[in-house]
Amino acid sequence: MHKKVRRETWAFYLCISPWLIGFLLFVVGPMIASFYISFTRWNLIEEARWVGMANFERLFLRDAKFWQSLRVTLLFTLLYVPTELVGGLGLALLMNQKIRGIKIVRTIYYLPSVLAGVAYVVVWMWMLNPEGGLVNGALAVFGIQGPRWLTDPDTALYAIWLMSIWGLGRTAIIYLAGLQGVPPALYEAASLDGARAGRLFWNITVPLITPTIFFNLILSIISTFQTFTSAYVSTNGGPLDSTLFYVLYIYQQAFGSFRMGYSSAMAWILFVIILVLTLIVVRSSSRWVYYEGEAT
Amino acid sequence: MNPLYVWLRIKHLGMLSAFCTLLLVVGACTAPVAPVEPAESNTTTDSTENSAGEEADPFAPVEASAEQVVIRVGTGDSGEGLAPHQEIIRRFEEANPDVKVQLEPVSGNDYYARLLTQIAAGDAPDIMNIGDDAVPRFVESDAFIPLQSFIDDSNFDTSVYLSGLLAPGTFDGELYFLPKDYSPLAVYYNERIFDENGVDYPEDGWTWDDFLATAQALTIDDNGDGTPETWGIQLPGPWTTGFEYWVAAAGGQLISDDGSTYLGYMDSEEVISAVEFYQSLYTEFGVAPPPADMSAFGGGNAEFDNGQAAMRIFGRWPQSGMMENPNIDLGVVGVPAGVERANVLFWGGFGIFSGTEHPDEAWRFLQFYAGPDGAEVWKDWALPAVTSIAEESGVMTDSINGVWIKELDHLAPRAYMSTPYWGSSADPALRSALEAAILDPEADVAALMSQAATIAQDELEFSLE
Repeated sequence: MHKKVRRETWAFYLCISPWLIGFLLFVVGPMIASFYISFTRWNLIEEARWVGMANFERLFLRDAKFWQSLRVTLLFTLLYVPTELVGGLGLALLMNQKIRGIKIVRTIYYLPSVLAGVAYVVVWMWMLNPEGGLVNGALAVFGIQGPRWLTDPDTALYAIWLMSIWGLGRTAIIYLAGLQGVPPALYEAASLDGARAGRLFWNITVPLITPTIFFNLILSIISTFQTFTSAYVSTNGGPLDSTLFYVLYIYQQAFGSFRMGYSSAMAWILFVIILVLTLIVVRSSSRWVYYEGEAT
Repeated sequence: MNPLYVWLRIKHLGMLSAFCTLLLVVGACTAPVAPVEPAESNTTTDSTENSAGEEADPFAPVEASAEQVVIRVGTGDSGEGLAPHQEIIRRFEEANPDVKVQLEPVSGNDYYARLLTQIAAGDAPDIMNIGDDAVPRFVESDAFIPLQSFIDDSNFDTSVYLSGLLAPGTFDGELYFLPKDYSPLAVYYNERIFDENGVDYPEDGWTWDDFLATAQALTIDDNGDGTPETWGIQLPGPWTTGFEYWVAAAGGQLISDDGSTYLGYMDSEEVISAVEFYQSLYTEFGVAPPPADMSAFGGGNAEFDNGQAAMRIFGRWPQSGMMENPNIDLGVVGVPAGVERANVLFWGGFGIFSGTEHPDEAWRFLQFYAGPDGAEVWKDWALPAVTSIAEESGVMTDSINGVWIKELDHLAPRAYMSTPYWGSSADPALRSALEAAILDPEADVAALMSQAATIAQDELEFSLE
């Protein structure tokens, strides 16, 4: 018996070894390296020079752009995560209808998610172009003078938010899987007891898909904190740093200014922020996430 | 230039993996596919307008026989832009059967990061092509060899070049690079719009006052809705390096000659007056269309290409497209004089890697590549750097191309020449100040520049620590 267990254990590790080796080599290794680098000054060419906490000190005490990038990223997270959670669920509910051609509808809504980030950002830049762009053109039909979107510091972040909504399909697909896992028998039983659509949704659907909501929430927080492509392509952080996302600032410091130590320090700060937020969400989950078969 | 061309040059995996290494620290790396930024390093080459989005195939190592020496050449050009390189290499190998040249193109923004890692590993190409603003950083890192001893040994005549073209490749009085391609600024104008409105074409020697008057005469709001149908001048938005022209023409400079301080320079009266004039073209006089895209280095506007702007101030890069554009009857004139008659140069050059194992063969190729032999080929792609070739090909007397060459007589030093840290200190600060000035007609320019100088100085001192 013991022998068999041990052999299975070995087989298990053997089977996951490609991933494990890749993880150690390309994730853990670079993480350890960047942790060390974050305490140095290093411009790629010259020897890295140990500077202790100097990078962190400057970031927290003297770098206004660091705080601005945190502000932008937090604001965007507060804006986008709820949009993704609620909008994605709405979309999934629509996709879950039993009507003809639903598979085509699902494909259409999911399609933007498979497009390469750059391509769709460029398309959005055309649509949001203040002169002759599709969006302001449509607004003009109703006599509305559209904003200058990406070139106005007051609207640029909202323009990026608007672009990001295109990615809802990805969240919706995960929700859809959750929705389809809800046993139809529960709806039938509740309907027989006289529950209407609203009650079915709030008392059956929502509680039963809380694990999916939980999963999407964590994924959404992590990916929103790492927003990069849309701002890099469309605004490069401007105008007036209004779209200076944290990861974009890391990139600018690393590959614009070749401050590898400084940017590694920023990357580690982001790691800690995301780790803490994720832990808070995970801790809170016992209060609001229900798993089937779990006694309540 | 269609921004699409710039955007769609999707970047290499190399950069991506380097970036992911950083991102991996934050857990799930979603591998963003970043595009090629319209980096100013790219603007030094005419090939930007030719590379229509495709990536060059990875170049297989060349076969070299036992007695042949292989010289590797790194360039940030791509696509069609590689054709002149390949042609020059073909001619060189024909004349020098003992040397094989291997071209290693890396297009886009990751070019410098790639070179830096290769240099750090001692495995960089023997000859590297870099842009003007990267010269101080690379030279300070001892990545390149001074060329003087080669020049002395081989009696290479450096006076073959047009005026001003060796300066960007010179650092601390030593020559490290020979010129590849270059462009000053000039004013493009659409003769048709001038003719239709009975305005005289601009002439060399004009001033900022003439410039403003011309732009005002050609800013035309026919239907009276407050938005002109025709704009006087399309400006390159908060494009910092292009802005250096306005600073120089106002008689100012952004950094002290010794590269130690921005204070008293970026916030000087001359610089403030340059920003105020530039701002007034957008705001007070309203002769320039607002930037359509703050991220693009040229402001992303299309008015001139669409025949809706009478003039445009920019480098030579989009010229060939404009000549074919049916909306434009193209004319080109030198930039107007402010307090000073000034211009700035954008430049790319070749140097020899300090870790090369074959310095003599590398020099032999470099002479060919960047000298008169190479210029024979470059002249079909960009402005030739060698005077005799420029004369023979008729470029000097051409009514359009000749303008660019004549502008070389008015070059002011670029700010990056004084410090390796221009790009990480003053450049972003100046950009923010320009954005603020353009966006807000009420902006207090003196306060903006004083703030920009302080930020730039702080960043500079951090870089020097």
